[in-house]
Order: sequence, then C-alpha cells, then structure tokens
Amino acid sequence: MPARYCQDSPDAILSCALEDMVLFYHRPSGQTHMVISPVPEILATLDDGAALTAGEVLGQLARHYDLGPAEEALSLVEMHLTELASLGLVRIA
Amino acid sequence: MNHGLTLKIGPATFRIGSAWRQPVDALARLYADYPPPADAIADFTVRLEPAGPFRRWVRPSIFITGDHGLADAAPMSLGHGLLAAEMGMNLQMALGWRRHLLLHASSVEKDGRALVMTGESGSGKSTLAAQLGERGWRLMGDEFALLDLETGAILPFPRLVSLKNRAIDVLAAEAPPERMGPMLAGTAKGDIRHLVPRRDAIGRMGEGAQPAMLLFPRFGHEADVRSVGQGEVFMRLTQASTNYVALGEPGFAALSGFVRNVPARAIDFPSGEEAIALVERLWEELA
Repeated sequence: MPARYCQDSPDAILSCALEDMVLFYHRPSGQTHMVISPVPEILATLDDGAALTAGEVLGQLARHYDLGPAEEALSLVEMHLTELASLGLVRIA
Repeated sequence: MNHGLTLKIGPATFRIGSAWRQPVDALARLYADYPPPADAIADFTVRLEPAGPFRRWVRPSIFITGDHGLADAAPMSLGHGLLAAEMGMNLQMALGWRRHLLLHASSVEKDGRALVMTGESGSGKSTLAAQLGERGWRLMGDEFALLDLETGAILPFPRLVSLKNRAIDVLAAEAPPERMGPMLAGTAKGDIRHLVPRRDAIGRMGEGAQPAMLLFPRFGHEADVRSVGQGEVFMRLTQASTNYVALGEPGFAALSGFVRNVPARAIDFPSGEEAIALVERLWEELA
C-alpha cells in the first residue's frame, strides 16, 4: 500500500509569499521554513484535510501544471513528500 | 551594589548597579538629558561587579552581569567602566527583550518615516546613522531597532552612540564636544568614544515611525547599489534578530510584513560623504 500523506491540522501552517519564495510558519513547532516551487503547490493539494498518496498528489498537480514525464514527476513528488514529512510539515496518515 | 542609577531608553528601563562610583558618574553625565523614569520598576538590572576577590581595589576589574549574563564574558578594566555599563544594557536587551522584535540595526527618521540599516559590526551602519542624525534626520538608534508586533512601526532605542576608531574623528568634527564622552582607548574593539544623541532625538524617544526603506550598508568599497530579494532580506533579518525565534508567530507575522512592505537595497560606499549622498538619493526614489 503506498503511503498517504496529510497535514497536521488545517491551521498548522501559516504561509507568506515573498517574491519567488514562500515562508511556512509551522505553528506546532514554531519553526520557519523557506521553500520554493513545487513545495507550496504540493502542500496545497493536502489542504482541507486530504490524505493523498504521492500518485494522487501528482494527479492533482497535473490538472494545473505541465509536469513532464510522469515517472520523473512522481519520484520528485515522492521525494518532496518524504522531506516534508521529515520536517514535520506533513505526516503519514 | 554601592552605586546605582536608573535609566530609561526608549521603552526599556534599566537599573544599573556598580561596585565603583566612576562608571555611574560617567553614565549620569552622558544621560543627563534623558527623561527620568516614570516609575521605579526597571525592566532589567545590570550589575558591574568585581571580577574576583580583591578586584574591587587591586587592579580593578569589572565582570558584567545582571538579569541576563554570559558566564564566560571577559572582565574589563575599570577605565572602561562606561563601556561595560553600555554593554551590560545591550546584553539585557539582546537576551531578554520580548515586547518587540529586536533587530541588530540602526535607524533614523525623516518626515515620520524610518530608514533601517543593518549589517555586521564594521559595516558602517552606526556611523552612518550618527552622521544622518547630525544632518536633519532624527537618530532613533545606532544598535537596536525595535519592530512593533502590532503596528509594524519601528520604535526608537536611542542609547549613546558607540563610535569606534575612525568614526570618532568623523563625528567629533560634526557634534559639539559637550555631547562626546571620554575616549576609551584600547578596548577589545579598538578605541571607543560615546556620542550623546541630539536633544530632539532624546525628547522623541517614545515616538515610533513606519519603516520606509531598509539598507544593508558596506563601508570600504566602491559606490554601488544592489537589489536584495525578499527571501534574502528575510533570512538576513532573522539572523540580525536576537528574539525572532522566542517571539513565535507574532514575530513571524511582523517580520514577514516588514519584508513585504519595505523596499531594500544593499549599498557599498568608500566614504561617509558618498554614503550620505547615496542614502538621500535612494530615500527620494524609494521611500
């Protein structure tokens, strides 16, 4: 079974765009993270309490963005979700 | 403590105690124009204590401590007692202030708006602020700028300006001698002389201003102006703040708002005169 990822809670992360960067203030830890695309877009697919696999996240992103070859895009999304989980910004459902 | 003095600088009140009379007398002279604190309750205590047994009398040596202190701070000679007291107050602010986001930055005000300058020690931010303070700007502070968490205004912290090495002669040529403190030669940062801010800067030390421009000055290079991306500005300001992490979400909101709203430039300059011309030009263009 592929892992499903979700956010801690709907208001766990406060975000603020600064030109081409996005700041995430993670309320539970008090830590600030600076990220660039596609991380904000990946995290946005998990808004509203969604618990999605990497493949489902990719499916959502593909509706709005040209992501190139699906296999490469999937491994990139998986890599970012793993990183986000290690930072505590998402967790495995 | 045998000798003591209470000082109010901007929003902070300090109670300074000293084992010796000289540092307190020097402070009393230089802070004579500052308004007396409205109440006896101090935010912080600073203590100048003998560094060890007998050190009150034999080769007097000061250990700086207080509500907040550094256990391994190097002792200072009694001849540098004024500097020790100033460092003690800075230490309390850097380690203990929580009411505002504290930025290691100088700030000056004109027409109700503030110019904030941040950079490492030796960047020229302090000298530049002091010079602007003698030329039509209001000096708000040479060391700490306080960012109000609710309004986004910069609040003054106009303590004595700490002039180092070459900056001493530069300001001595502009400010009257009665506003200059004693020469403190051979400190860990070289020669130091303190400058009392102008009377209007002291009288208006409770009056903040909305920030209108942020500069990253760098002394000793050919004149140049560069844009700085908001991401880099945010990162450099978190590094320049001693209490960003401690303030949590209000600190994040205040700092990110500052970065989004305030235009920022890095400036290089070979001399104070060129720096002032550059600042005045950028202020006209951006602020």
